Amino acid sequence: MVLEATMICVDNSEWMRNGDYSPSRFQVQADAVSLVCGAKTQSNPENTVGILTMAGKGVRVLATPTSDLGKILSCMHGLEMGGEMNLAAGILIAQLALKHRQNKNQQQRIIVFAGSPIKHEKKALEIIGKKLKKNSVALDIVDFGEEEDGKPEKLEALLASVNNNDASHIVHVPPSQNALSDVLISTPVFTGDGEGGSGFAATTAAAAAGGVSDFDFGVDPNIDPELALALRVSMEEERARQEAAAKKAAEEASSQEKGEDAQPQSDSQNATSTATEKVSDPMDEDDLLKEALALSMNIPGSDSSAGDAQMSEASNDDQELALALQMSMQDGSKESSAPSDVSKVLGDQSFMSSIISSLPGVDPNDPNVKNLLASLPGQSESQQKKDEDEKPKDEK
Amino acid sequence: MATAESASAIQRNQVDLLDFIDWSGVECLNQSSGHLLANALKQGYREDEGLNLESDADEQLLIYIPFTQVVKLHSIVVKGSEEEGPKTVKLFTNRQHMGFSNVNDFPPSDTVVLSPDNLKGKPVVVKYVKFQNVRSLTIFIEDNQSGSEITKVQKIALYGSTVETTDMKGLKKIEEH
Repeated sequence: MVLEATMICVDNSEWMRNGDYSPSRFQVQADAVSLVCGAKTQSNPENTVGILTMAGKGVRVLATPTSDLGKILSCMHGLEMGGEMNLAAGILIAQLALKHRQNKNQQQRIIVFAGSPIKHEKKALEIIGKKLKKNSVALDIVDFGEEEDGKPEKLEALLASVNNNDASHIVHVPPSQNALSDVLISTPVFTGDGEGGSGFAATTAAAAAGGVSDFDFGVDPNIDPELALALRVSMEEERARQEAAAKKAAEEASSQEKGEDAQPQSDSQNATSTATEKVSDPMDEDDLLKEALALSMNIPGSDSSAGDAQMSEASNDDQELALALQMSMQDGSKESSAPSDVSKVLGDQSFMSSIISSLPGVDPNDPNVKNLLASLPGQSESQQKKDEDEKPKDEK
Repeated sequence: MATAESASAIQRNQVDLLDFIDWSGVECLNQSSGHLLANALKQGYREDEGLNLESDADEQLLIYIPFTQVVKLHSIVVKGSEEEGPKTVKLFTNRQHMGFSNVNDFPPSDTVVLSPDNLKGKPVVVKYVKFQNVRSLTIFIEDNQSGSEITKVQKIALYGSTVETTDMKGLKKIEEH
């Protein structure tokens, strides 16, 4: 909502007849100008905008800074193309027009549409830039149209000499299907350093996306902006919710895959990858892992209440799987208290060892198993005890 | 003699006009973004020798200081380094929104050329007649001592006295009986 007086410098040279931007360079420029005017006047009712042309017989001020949008738009109507653009004179006269603005409290800004080749030297442009900076005038440059060697460099140099605290911007727009105005909407030229014009920009973006004469949701944002905004927000919320549901479904699908795959390695890989995915979603982690286990054990209809028991029957012979589950459990327990029940169960030394000894094909004396048990949280003491017990056993 | 006079004048009835500056309207053109006017004007900052007001694109600075009430300006102190401190300083009274382009359009109320003594803190007495009715002060620093690209000002202090003026904020509504 910065209080600003803006002068727009329009390029109406012969180069604007070209059709590489549809329908013609001049038309897209006119559209962009009207969009900018609208954005500025909407972001703050006291903002004023003026227009001047840089080509033709000479630089001509069509409108001095005014808040009357109609007057500004009518100036763009019926403009003739011809001659060569005089960038330096255009900017200097724009600065003069801003100097004589009625409300001296307004910040000064110049927006230049540079569509034709620049005949000035880089040095000259830098001097102009310094003069603007000295008088605290910000400059926005829209580089489009004719692509000439050195044009971007000259414009960048001009921007660098004017720029004070990122108040000035440059946008390079190559020819493409998208209209110039669409490209500009997302740039700081419109958004005004990230605030203010964004509301207007969003409404026009919605309008543009919906088509030329069609508006999103059948509501004209200009007539009823609040309704349009409310509809758009609810649509986005719905979309976000659907995405979250879809993501969950995808994760379930991947964990199903994991259950059916017999190879331990890919299992653990899947488990770890799902585990890392779920680091960001600790609340669902447990449920999904339990479901995965249930599926791998071919037990239908698992839910979180029965999950504890199922989780502790660390089913398969797959020690790697158990280890992977262990890791994911540990990750989960770091972030929330929900899996604490399960980790407590897992951490219960005697329970775990009894479970593991009941598993077919798992030898409690197997070093792998011992390592697994050793890695359980807070079990080192009892583990050591157990080791000592077992060692004399073995030695016997 | 002159110095003794000015020194005693400061003691007599001159106050530091810092309290009467209307901070919401203070402006400075061509200041560098890391080194703002506050470094030279504000209490505390201006005493710090490391904090300076510096110019940006070239060596000139244009400072606009409005006051909350009408004041009489007696003298000013401009402190800076020997090379990069200001040299020629032009003062304009009661002119709003001046720009670099119109500083030469009307004559200044006073022109001060700062000597190295002044830069160390010796106050400069201004022309009495021209500064009796000051609502706002514009300080135009035209160049610096050594002619370098950047002018650095360490402190700007204004000394003077106030004129009896109604403080609009102090006016209270009379209770109706």
